[in-house]
Amino acid sequence: MRALRLAWLTVVRQPARSCLGILGVAAVGALLFDMLLLSRGLILSFRDLLDRAGFDVRVVASDTLPFNGPRLEDATALARLIASLPEVEAVQQVRVADAETASGDFRRRIEFVGADPQARPMWTIVAGQDIAGRGEAALVINRHLAQTLRLSPGSSMSLTGRCGEAQGAPPLAFTVAGIAEFPFDTATADTVAGALSAAGRLCGRTTEDTADLLVVRSRPDAGADAAAAAIRRARRDVHVVTSDDLVQQFNRTQFSYFRQISVVLATVTLFFGVLLIAVLLTVSVNQHLGEIATLRAIGLTRRRVVSGIVWESAMLVGAGGILALPLGTALSVWLDRILRSMPGVPADLHFFVFEPRALVIHALLLAMAAIAAAAYPVRIVAALPIAATLRREAVS
Amino acid sequence: MTPIVEARSISRVFPMPAGPVTALRDVSLSIAAGDYLGVVGPSGCGKSTLLHVLGCVDVPTSGTLLFHDRDVGSLADTERSRLRLREIGFVFQRFFLLPMLTAAENVELPQAEAGAPRAERRRRTMALLEYVGLAARADHRPSELSGGEMQRVAIARALANRPRLLLADEPTGELDQGTGEQIATLLDRLHADGTAVVVVTHDPAIAGRARRLLRMRDGRIVDEAPR
Repeated sequence: MRALRLAWLTVVRQPARSCLGILGVAAVGALLFDMLLLSRGLILSFRDLLDRAGFDVRVVASDTLPFNGPRLEDATALARLIASLPEVEAVQQVRVADAETASGDFRRRIEFVGADPQARPMWTIVAGQDIAGRGEAALVINRHLAQTLRLSPGSSMSLTGRCGEAQGAPPLAFTVAGIAEFPFDTATADTVAGALSAAGRLCGRTTEDTADLLVVRSRPDAGADAAAAAIRRARRDVHVVTSDDLVQQFNRTQFSYFRQISVVLATVTLFFGVLLIAVLLTVSVNQHLGEIATLRAIGLTRRRVVSGIVWESAMLVGAGGILALPLGTALSVWLDRILRSMPGVPADLHFFVFEPRALVIHALLLAMAAIAAAAYPVRIVAALPIAATLRREAVS
Repeated sequence: MTPIVEARSISRVFPMPAGPVTALRDVSLSIAAGDYLGVVGPSGCGKSTLLHVLGCVDVPTSGTLLFHDRDVGSLADTERSRLRLREIGFVFQRFFLLPMLTAAENVELPQAEAGAPRAERRRRTMALLEYVGLAARADHRPSELSGGEMQRVAIARALANRPRLLLADEPTGELDQGTGEQIATLLDRLHADGTAVVVVTHDPAIAGRARRLLRMRDGRIVDEAPR
């Protein structure tokens, strides 16, 4: 009978104790798994959103985040210059304007994304058509707005610019060409997209040639870094960031809190998992010191008895760790829903994202936990004085 | 006859916080094949310590213990384990069967450790359980057995690897008189079948069955009488 089989029989024939251990490890393992998903979830999801837009380089006027700093001047000429670079496949000008529309007795605030209708869009059409070739009065709107105002392709819509000193510009009439998904929309955002020129006309600025940012898609054979370098060489006065740069920047700043929290919580949960199994095994070992001493007395080697304890720990942690995966996944879906309901969070941004790496780390950490949890009871068994234990057990 | 185990002037001293306690003092003893030795004496006189030293689960503080002329003190822990596995059988007052294993699995365990093939150890396990009269309880776990049955399983386990020496420490201590008689009869059979038996006991009826009787007091053998 091998140590593995002895450990297996110990586990299956003491079901109450084993279930307690396995469930404890499953609970701890589920939290650990979730913390691993959280540690890189935002980064992965953010990267996915950036990629979904279809552009890998962004050009802005300063090193502030897009829409927070000054606008790019002579945007059309700049876009043409960048488009002419051999490393660049496509360029899109983006200009965001604040607008509002009448909704019953209320004014509803709308974010208007102006873009070149002939260039590749940053949104994904889910119903109807895109604005390309439909003139300045064509719009695509997001689902939330379509559902709230009961708009569909072909519907009319009137928008008024909210333009500070230019407040009071007359409303513009638009026709809904289609319904689209915008990658960075929040769940309650009202977003529309139309022609770049329409964004200016909302505030009566028909001759202004500015853009909040240019989004650039590099040629696959050149890559984002080469495209960014080429743009920097061509125009030293603009700020160029690749998607990788943005991800790294967010990883260092905004998202680092989640990473730190997940590291702390993962460490704490792992610690409790180790304690739980160590206590279970230690109690079990202490309850059976007489039997363990007898095993040694009848000739089982120290190594053999110790390996039984390690196997038992591995089985409890292994079974708990496997059970932790569906439990952790369900928990992460629930927690993700709660966190995504926070105001200002893009609807498609996820806090908990699965990646195979998390599974590997989960398994490695639990394997380490199993070894660490077995360390103390193994020490008891390894150092057990056979004769003294038999004597003590006989008189106790 | 060549001794199986021979103790030469062995002493065993236990260091204690209140001062060292000497459990065995200058004990010399030889046990040969076919011996049936009873060890009696008051509690704390060193009977169990002597049994543990003879069984190689404890080492003397001084003196020499030879097992088939090999100095046990010079053996590594693994070698002593191997010696216990193949040459010595232990029976304890409190049985110490593994609770998660059936009677058959408890008997099979030392055979598996000794590397016996599965079919052979199954056969021997059933033969041993038959020998102790428990073949019908092979699949029962210790919690489903009476004290006497558990002790018989423990004896079967002790015999699993055909030891030359069986050491029994108060084997009837937890049993009623009738069940104790059954165990004593079983030990008689073992002896008759060729196994050297050493029994530490308080029970005069058990001691009375031994062929040699050692009386101990304060860690010394004070009397040794053939019967």
